[in-house]
Amino acid sequence: MNLAHYKPCVCNLCGTGCGQFLNTDGQRVYGVAPLITHPVSKGKLCIRGWHANELLNTHERITTPLIREHGELRPASYDEAIAKVMSTLQTFKGEAGEIGVLASARSSNEDGYTLARLSREVLKTQLRGIGAEAGHRKSMDSLRHAFGYPGAHGSLTAIDHADYILVVGTDITRQNPIIGGNIHAAQRRGARVVTLSSSRTQIAKLSTKHFQEKPGTLGLLVNALGKSLMAIRTVNHDRRANIDKLPGYSEYAASLRSISSVALERASGIRYEEIEEEAKYLEHAKSVVILFSSGISGLDRPTIDAITNLALLTDRMDHPHSAVIPVAGISNLQGSFDMGMSGELGNSVFKALATPDSAIKALLVIDHDDGIIRDKARIAALDFVVYACAYKNAFMELADVVFPLPAYNETDGTYTAADKRVQITRQNVDNKRGILPGWNLWQRLAAAVGHHWGYQDAAHVFKDVAKHTPGYADLSHELLGKGFGQHWNPKGFASSRQRQFNAINIEYWEAPTSPQFPFALMIGKAQHYWHQNNLMRKTIVPRREYDQTLWLYPQGYIEISPDDATRLKVKDKWLVNVRSSIGTSMKIAVKISPDVQNGTAYIPYFIKNMISDFLLPYENAYAAGEESVIPIQIQE
Amino acid sequence: MSMYLLSAHDISALVTELQASYDVYGPQVEPQTKQVFFDQLASAEALDLAAPIPSMPVKEILFPQMERILKYKYDAQSQSVELSKQYFERPKVLFGLRPCDLSGILVLDRFFLGQEFVDDVYLTHRRQCLLISNTCLHPFPQCFCVCTHSGPDADEGFDLDLTQLKDGILVRVGSEKGQALADAHQWSVASAAHAAEFKAVVERSIDLFPELATDNKAWVAKVMNRITTGFVKPETWEYIGDQCFECGACSFVCPTCSCFNIEDSATACGECERLRMRDSCSFEGYARMAGDHNPRQPVEDRRNKRFFCKLSYPQSKKYLRPGCVGCGRCQWVCPGDIGLPNVVQYIRREITGGQN
Ligand code: SF4
Ligand code: SF4
Ligand code: SF4
Ligand code: SF4
Repeated sequence: MNLAHYKPCVCNLCGTGCGQFLNTDGQRVYGVAPLITHPVSKGKLCIRGWHANELLNTHERITTPLIREHGELRPASYDEAIAKVMSTLQTFKGEAGEIGVLASARSSNEDGYTLARLSREVLKTQLRGIGAEAGHRKSMDSLRHAFGYPGAHGSLTAIDHADYILVVGTDITRQNPIIGGNIHAAQRRGARVVTLSSSRTQIAKLSTKHFQEKPGTLGLLVNALGKSLMAIRTVNHDRRANIDKLPGYSEYAASLRSISSVALERASGIRYEEIEEEAKYLEHAKSVVILFSSGISGLDRPTIDAITNLALLTDRMDHPHSAVIPVAGISNLQGSFDMGMSGELGNSVFKALATPDSAIKALLVIDHDDGIIRDKARIAALDFVVYACAYKNAFMELADVVFPLPAYNETDGTYTAADKRVQITRQNVDNKRGILPGWNLWQRLAAAVGHHWGYQDAAHVFKDVAKHTPGYADLSHELLGKGFGQHWNPKGFASSRQRQFNAINIEYWEAPTSPQFPFALMIGKAQHYWHQNNLMRKTIVPRREYDQTLWLYPQGYIEISPDDATRLKVKDKWLVNVRSSIGTSMKIAVKISPDVQNGTAYIPYFIKNMISDFLLPYENAYAAGEESVIPIQIQE
Repeated sequence: MSMYLLSAHDISALVTELQASYDVYGPQVEPQTKQVFFDQLASAEALDLAAPIPSMPVKEILFPQMERILKYKYDAQSQSVELSKQYFERPKVLFGLRPCDLSGILVLDRFFLGQEFVDDVYLTHRRQCLLISNTCLHPFPQCFCVCTHSGPDADEGFDLDLTQLKDGILVRVGSEKGQALADAHQWSVASAAHAAEFKAVVERSIDLFPELATDNKAWVAKVMNRITTGFVKPETWEYIGDQCFECGACSFVCPTCSCFNIEDSATACGECERLRMRDSCSFEGYARMAGDHNPRQPVEDRRNKRFFCKLSYPQSKKYLRPGCVGCGRCQWVCPGDIGLPNVVQYIRREITGGQN
């Protein structure tokens, strides 16, 4: 018998996909409980997961369709809003690039799949994209080349058994805390956990070994590890790896050989001998897990290629406890990608919005959670903007028509976590306001112009997902409802047995700093919340936590090392002038932190709202992700 | 204390009978995940007295994670405010409480009701509660109630207490309310042999605790002494602080944690509701004071606050027992490795200089 109040589901607040119970009477959600037998989260949740009830209780919901009239949004019926949207969109030519669709990385697979159908079959547009996909596409391309399919290799549960775990870049304890917790547990049971990160993050503190490289040299460091691993291989013949037969090996090996230890040390600040020591552990490990952050501020392609190559080079990737996982910060980034909502390279909706003379005239946007709306002026100038989201936010101001969406527990849906685990959440509260789930809204939009899909419910949509999405063929709602989901099957891709090395270039990255602009400024993802700000701002306790640092540093802050603070003669909370090499400047408080290395400075991502003038010209550097660096000077 | 011997059928009948005038809650197994919750019973069959300790503490019912306590509406025209209370009294039976959870309720009672200020919301939920506890015949993997004087059998605070014996279920009466219930039924009185069997059952259960748990008993006292006197080394707190992911779980699952936060949230123009939600001293914002002073900003300072709260003499004086009831839940929900039993271990290691 099902319990009166506790309903199992999947946390929707990051790509880990933790098991969660909601405590609900079917009307409202009163609390959360962790799900002990969940294979990944094992009874643990992070601050976001524990406060999902607060988000689900917010009054800042969009409750009805809205149409803009005389500058104001007014409530409308579904019939009216749908008719308005489709009659207007029909006046634009999708084929000519006049309509863009910006999907959400939080939408269910059912919603993503039907939105992709709407875009292709009805709106006939190629201009697609997923918020936060930029970095993920690079991860997918690199993995697809290396392993033959665009998705994680292996499972997050491999962390619990692997001998060797390498965390590249990200502070996973903040972005995906429960994965961070599992890594910490692995370290305690004796796995060797190694973090490569330019600042001393919490995961770095919990690791067996932390390489604190200079900014911009992560990929180089990974390649150096490859070089020393290869060197041991040549000496140690008891293990005959045949990776040297894989396509791309000789070019890769030649590039690795070209790494100079002197230049490496100068660029990264890490001695090659230290890396050689590390490679011995890697050589002895029977199973290896590599994790890196993927998504809005993920790594650049060369760094990801260095990672997938190193993974292949270990020759341990067929071990059941090995994995290479692009860790997504948003719940269904992987699924949205699988459903085909990612834009074509060089022809995405982002590109169209950023290109001043592109043809784009109309835009359909789902769930814009980011505090920063890119290309806002362009969007405001479009002829027609449609927005759909469960929660109110700033994007509504740009919209001509707004649709409500259900919250994740108000409808059935499947979500694909960072490691390809597809899981189902069932509706567990009444949908009192009769809000159409995304798939049904897209179906109604299609029907309004004569495309009849005939989906009865989300399970029905999923049958089509399974039929048309590589890897999903064996899955169904019924099956997913039985356990804790299932990974989609790489064998759905014909090339899934292929292994090949990505081409790499050895570059000794020179920091763009100069005597005049001696600090390398990085934009980090501080705090628990990262880009999910707009969701977390609708909670109570997490929002309070998020504000803590802002209370202490109301003008925002820039983190520098204690040595640099002494040199600059500044104290914590003092205001300094920060000037960038292209002439923008801001006044901001100093936060002294022993976790930052000399010559570097951090500004947390979420403070961007307050300092956007400073960062705006760097929009591209900023989109380039974790490794982008801005040269600055700091003055009292 | 009077004692009776009931059959499983009597227990079922009792649940059904109580359901006529009470909301009856008890341990149940969630079918899909096999996770145990102390939830409202749809019928007597759902009650599973042999189920392991519920995954969430029973304070879920008396002090929920979040509740609406007040609504108010401001009428600008008449300049008046209309207030309405949002919590309501419902008679409840908590059927089959594990002894640690019962002790947890007693601690919450002392916190919410036993001091100068009586918390009306808690009182309303608590007032008409019948408490029926259930002896643990063997410990569950994370339990250490033997170290904190809260199990495996209950010794105070229950109305009725159940223990599974060979021939049936022994019912011990612990209050007038419990006695009245017994008097209203024709339950058969238990014999001296049953009383002896009860003692043996409890002894055996204690024996079944892993050595570490029983061994820790003396250590809990020593660690309490250390924590109270402030002799724990800063390195140890730092080691603990580095492992805290600031999720709040330890407080949310702890049967004795009573901290909460209040927030007024506007529902419509001129209308507002007041929410109260559990809070945790692991959060940075928990201790921040007006004027931006935060006495506990670094995470390690926040963590030692928790252990001071659970294991120190001043706190024990307030609760009339240690703040920890040994349920072990904070151990299984912590993404770090700093559940209370482990912290006892860490401090113990510090005292012995590494030898366990
Ligand atoms: S780690 Fe991610 S999925 Fe897990 S509880 Fe936190 S937000 Fe939810
Ligand atoms: S401190 Fe931990 S073990 Fe002790 S009562 Fe609380 S949750 Fe249970
Ligand atoms: S101070 Fe911390 S440990 Fe003590 S009751 Fe509050 S939340 Fe729990
Ligand atoms: S459960 Fe562990 S990680 Fe979470 S707040 Fe408590 S001590 Fe910190």
